[in-house]
Amino acid sequence: MRRILLIWCLMIGGFALSMRAQEVELRAPSKVIAGAGFAIATTGHGSATFYLVGPNRALKRTIQLGQEITISGNDVAVSGLYQAIACGSPCANTTFQVLPSAPARLSFLLHPSRVPVSSGNAINATTFVFDRFHNTVLKSAKVDFHVSLPDGPTMTRTGQTTRGITWFEMGSTAKQGRLQIIAAIGETAEPRVIQQVASDACGLRMTAVPAGRYVKLETSAIRDCAGNPLPDGTIVSFTKTDNAGRSTIDTPIKKEKATAQFELTGRARISVACGVALGNELEVGGRP
Amino acid sequence: MKTIFALALIIATAVLLAAGWVQAGGMKLRAERSAATPEEAVHALMADIQAHNWDHAYALLDHANDLQQADFVREVAGSDGSLRTYSSLQTYEIWPVHVEASHATIRVRMNWSSAVGSLDEVRDLSVVQDGSVGRVVWPKPNFANVPLQVLPVNYLRWDVIGRRSDDWGAGSVDTPQVRIISMNAVERPTGIVILGEVENEDTVPAYLNVSATLLKADGSQLAQQDTFDAIAHSLLPKQVSPYRIDFPGYRLQDVKSVRMDARPLLVPASADPVVAIENQNIIKDALGRSILKGSLLNQSGQVVNIAQVLGAFYDSSGKVIWVSDGYVDQALMPQGPVPFALDIPPDVATRVHSYHVVVNHYAAPSV
Amino acid sequence: MKPLILASTLFASACLLVAHLRDTSIEVRAASLPKVILNAESITPRAIEQRTGEMVTHNYAQAWQDMAACVETNRTDLVNDYFTGEAKARLTHLISDQRKSGLRTHYEDRGHEVKAVFYSADGGEIQLEDRAQVEVQIFDGQKMIYSSASPRKYLVLMTPGADRWYVRSLESVGDETF
Repeated sequence: MRRILLIWCLMIGGFALSMRAQEVELRAPSKVIAGAGFAIATTGHGSATFYLVGPNRALKRTIQLGQEITISGNDVAVSGLYQAIACGSPCANTTFQVLPSAPARLSFLLHPSRVPVSSGNAINATTFVFDRFHNTVLKSAKVDFHVSLPDGPTMTRTGQTTRGITWFEMGSTAKQGRLQIIAAIGETAEPRVIQQVASDACGLRMTAVPAGRYVKLETSAIRDCAGNPLPDGTIVSFTKTDNAGRSTIDTPIKKEKATAQFELTGRARISVACGVALGNELEVGGRP
Repeated sequence: MKTIFALALIIATAVLLAAGWVQAGGMKLRAERSAATPEEAVHALMADIQAHNWDHAYALLDHANDLQQADFVREVAGSDGSLRTYSSLQTYEIWPVHVEASHATIRVRMNWSSAVGSLDEVRDLSVVQDGSVGRVVWPKPNFANVPLQVLPVNYLRWDVIGRRSDDWGAGSVDTPQVRIISMNAVERPTGIVILGEVENEDTVPAYLNVSATLLKADGSQLAQQDTFDAIAHSLLPKQVSPYRIDFPGYRLQDVKSVRMDARPLLVPASADPVVAIENQNIIKDALGRSILKGSLLNQSGQVVNIAQVLGAFYDSSGKVIWVSDGYVDQALMPQGPVPFALDIPPDVATRVHSYHVVVNHYAAPSV
Repeated sequence: MKPLILASTLFASACLLVAHLRDTSIEVRAASLPKVILNAESITPRAIEQRTGEMVTHNYAQAWQDMAACVETNRTDLVNDYFTGEAKARLTHLISDQRKSGLRTHYEDRGHEVKAVFYSADGGEIQLEDRAQVEVQIFDGQKMIYSSASPRKYLVLMTPGADRWYVRSLESVGDETF
């Protein structure tokens, strides 16, 4: 009876000792900066399997309990929630947050690529601020926008980010040409260029010159209301209506003017249009 | 015994050959090629055209008008990479218009099977009796005789350079700004048709696709379709194209709303060739159908191999009530006019107040 | 002999039944999207269209469904459907690491309360704050090494594609962020 009791006590004691030997604890900083290495302290004895699981990481290696686990900056480059797990028996774990580091990259979107002149609030500039590991910088940061207009000096606007984003809108000026905006933070700068283009044709006029049985038509320089010439290649429609029916020619602008030629078989009425802008009408042909 | 067996074999072979000839339409072909009557003469000509038997077809013609075989073949078989060169005569219908002892007028409606679908052609052919044989008078084709000349072409061309990348936030160029300027959903006997016009409001060319989604009362999708080729896909700046989207088998009563989607792409393009659309008129054709006819004049120096004509028809309030499209099966040679015709449904023709026609063109790359 | 045959038959039937049940449960998981509720009341600088809001909600739910399937099975073929840019690269890298380490992650997705906070003027980007109820379990082979049912917060950036919205950035953030 005593022998059995003794063996039983030894068994219980040994079991308790073994449990105590496998008790594992991990201690990590609650917050870490992305890309910065750090250490996780461990308690316990013996070897264990260590896991580090994060937004883009799933590492597994064998460690010695009781010693610090060195985590390299590369393993915590991505911001977010990480789990550090050590499995002896049972498993222990700790959770820590990796925060974005300092702003180092900008994603700068400037729209539209081509904006008609004199359009209010037509240009939108949106910037996203990231650190060097492409993590969104959540801390509010100041972004400078250096704006170079086709017909004016450079000006600077400042935006403060909220959740990594800052934006602004502005209208286009009256003169067509290249508009450049550089978004800058610290030493990082991103330039973007858009084109201010002429808007709809204004005061569209054509003249007709008889040439035998043909009539040659030519518009004056086609410009918008601010005097900007419409770009070459823009389609101008000439329409002739006479006894034979209707004839149309869609012809592109060349060197600010559009030309067309119709054959005349009698009196005809000719009109011209460019997009939604209508020009003058002419009566040509027939007996004087 | 052997002799009888050999004789039986020969007879059986002859019978089988004859049966095969009859089954292959030999009797019909013989009747067609007899050309004794005006109808038979036209039948024989059509059969030869179907079979691409140009020598025999030309031999059936009356040569009084000095029609050359090369011109005849050029007109019927097509040339210069035109749509006709990719087509074949599928079926034809013949009926007499006017018959006398020495001559007759026979109307033939030809249905050509082409790379873009079936194309109809209606012709009135004169047939003169030459003894016991009818001979078809094929009208001499009027090919444009443009004198040799140098034509400077300096219209604008756009190229898209640089690497297209998906680097979000990196420098990029917006797709062209296009706008659907009108949309009209109508119910036809065949189904629902969505009609309208779309404009390239940008300063760069656009390659455009327009689609429509029919939505039920609960907002769920009933059907979705594309314009396919019922649109001028390439639009230069400020150019307007009509579009038509067909939903066969659907009824407007099942549709609560229509969602339109225009998807433009930035593409290289050329402002050349310029094609004038001349002498447009709505008339009745030989079959009594309303058509918009006119002619296309290629004002550039480049051959337009295949031309497609799209017409938007408006009512008195300016609403688009129909969009027709049709292909021209002749190539547009520089400076040479080519006729075209667009079908108009009879009930639409009575309401047409005005129309606008555009030309879509395809040119084979020059070597 | 007969009892042996009977036992073998019973065992085989049991195996088939278990396999069928397992398959059914995966199908059920794959068929049902996680619940996503989108609130766009405080969105700036522009309001979101009804249809866009529906698409964003639906596509975000599909992204989570695909992500759960990918990290559970360590497959990357579903990553392309609703992920792009940095989010896609990170998810792909995670799956690659898991495969090398023999790990897998199981998500029990109990829903997302999503607040749309930014919608760019040209409609090209939308930023969301997601309060997610997701139970996460990490397995090394068959052994579960980690389990947590705590709510999580995510800052999400989505951008439109040809026919859907893609998750471009999916970052877990601390409680104090929003």
